[in-house]
Amino acid sequence: MMANLWRTAGPAMVLLAAACGKPAAPAPTTPAPTPAQSQAARATADSAAAAHAAAARRDSLAAQVRADSLVRADSLARADRERTRADSVRLQVQRQSADTAPPAIAGGLALADSTALADPIHFDYDKSEVGAADQPRLDRKLAILGAHPRLEIRIAGNCDERGSDEYNLALGERRAAAAKRYLVAHGIAAGRIDIVSYGKEHPLDAGHSEDAWSRNRRDDFVVTRGAN
Amino acid sequence: MRCGLLVAVLAVATGPTALRSQDSTAPAPGGVRVGITYSPGTRPSVAVLPASMATAVLDSVRTILQRDLDYSDRFEVVYPPSAVTVPGGAPNYAALTSLGTDLAVAFVAAAGAEQGGEIEIQLHDVRTGSIKNRLSLRLPGGAGEALRRAVHRASDEVVRWVTGAPGIAATAILFVADGRLWRVDPDGEGRVGVPAAGRPALSPAWSPDGRTIAYTAFVPSGRPLVLQDLASGSREIVPGTEYGVNITPEFSPDGRALAYAHGDENGTDVYRYDVARRCCVTRLTVGRYYDNLSPTWSPDGRRLSFISTRAGSPQLYVMSADGSGQEALARFDYGSTGQTNGPEWSPDGQSIAFHREVGGVPELFVLDLATRAVRQITGEGRNEDPTWAPDGRHLAFVSSRSGTRQLWIVDLETGRMRPIVTTGGARLPAWSPRRTFSSEAG
Repeated sequence: MMANLWRTAGPAMVLLAAACGKPAAPAPTTPAPTPAQSQAARATADSAAAAHAAAARRDSLAAQVRADSLVRADSLARADRERTRADSVRLQVQRQSADTAPPAIAGGLALADSTALADPIHFDYDKSEVGAADQPRLDRKLAILGAHPRLEIRIAGNCDERGSDEYNLALGERRAAAAKRYLVAHGIAAGRIDIVSYGKEHPLDAGHSEDAWSRNRRDDFVVTRGAN
Repeated sequence: MRCGLLVAVLAVATGPTALRSQDSTAPAPGGVRVGITYSPGTRPSVAVLPASMATAVLDSVRTILQRDLDYSDRFEVVYPPSAVTVPGGAPNYAALTSLGTDLAVAFVAAAGAEQGGEIEIQLHDVRTGSIKNRLSLRLPGGAGEALRRAVHRASDEVVRWVTGAPGIAATAILFVADGRLWRVDPDGEGRVGVPAAGRPALSPAWSPDGRTIAYTAFVPSGRPLVLQDLASGSREIVPGTEYGVNITPEFSPDGRALAYAHGDENGTDVYRYDVARRCCVTRLTVGRYYDNLSPTWSPDGRRLSFISTRAGSPQLYVMSADGSGQEALARFDYGSTGQTNGPEWSPDGQSIAFHREVGGVPELFVLDLATRAVRQITGEGRNEDPTWAPDGRHLAFVSSRSGTRQLWIVDLETGRMRPIVTTGGARLPAWSPRRTFSSEAG
């Protein structure tokens, strides 16, 4: 993976990628702003855009909320079956794409970058702290986000099936927030990262084993803008 | 009622034992108990006598009445042999007494009642051989939803005659299945989808007048809280919930405010929105990277219980409605106390139901506020997300005891449990207030 990244990223990336091993140290040519500096810069840059985005978001949400999710009394059992099948298919597709997908370019991002950006991070049971093993994964995302300043991403927090439906929505938000905090602390503008919680609503693995649970306790990363 | 009445008997009679109201041990604030009383450990037996005419509609009226009285868990429903219950005749008090029947419910129908006529429902005291109460009920035409609702209201009144507090048959339970909202009557009938924004739609909650619901909508760009008028279907988003994750809404008992949890990058906190004035969001808890959620109001509206992870795992807390005086509510168990979630304050204000993990499996508990002692209600399978019936003695909850997640009801007085929604995947039930259908009565 690392080799791929280096091959495809070009010289500019090399500097950033070199910084990845020591995420706290500023890269030589583009020093990371101090928290105070970056906050001030972000506040100025974001304020006008934020007001506009907020209005657009409210309009869009209002439209989404007007739309019915219609239900029919006889559709329950069928929907149950369909969902089970859909889950199983989704799992297969995800496994296949991770293991055997051929190299390709997604938008303007090299495949290696797309893959590294989408690489999920995982959490201990009922925890939201980013583990040491996952910090290199976030550091690679830092490098890619640094090299592609128009990229915007969404971090989606997910939980395993244990624990209550509602509590897991809060826990999923905390997990997404933890990854965002890490990226922002290392210089990525907060406005480029949206977070969302799926609670336990979107398990990657429909199983009930410790293995399935640990796969499902994760943050997913999705590019929302600027991929091409 | 006009002449030409055909007699059917819905008889409920007083028992032979010295009777005392079951509710007398826990009177509702300001409530006065009237009617028949009975001793702890006994309950009156009731027979619902057949209608004078055997028509499909009247038969179903009898069946619904029988089931409602049974599911009230306040009676032993007896089923006398047909020889004792001659259609059209006066109740055979002697024969009913010999069967151990205390009360009999009879219904007297005019010819053509099933086409929208009236029936009279009578409560007979079998022991004294007299009619204690009666009411007239106009039957809607046909045998559908409207008929069932009308009979549910009548059986709730029969329960009130006997116990002093109305039954819970004319209520409804909202729940989530397959990511969608559904409504079902507590007898398991009348399940119908409620069109909602987003999928899944989660954590439905009723306004006290039963006209508005609130829920979390999963839409592509967020997790807003939606207020939805049940009759018109019109929707609005609670201000401030366009961002972050917005969950566990609950209306205040006067319906003027909505408490809920809003989560963002700084953690999840409890907020209050002024629904009556459609303005003014107030933050009630200030967490920092930990969660406060699932607010539930005391019936007097002065306090909120909620879940917080401030000391590690999610546990039960209480605060004043303005956010002051926050403190842990439930004592800790011997050994480790499991994760606690899904609290709901009881209608009588005296207890809080919730689920807590025991050995990693959620089970229902009820906390007594006076003593702060907790009582475990379930122990078989996963049991989650209890919601109180308006009578304060029944809970609907989610249980996996039969293999899939289904809705069940438990009567806390007798411990009796029954499933109401047997389709798999049902969750997050919310029991309606009693007033829900009063507006439909006219």
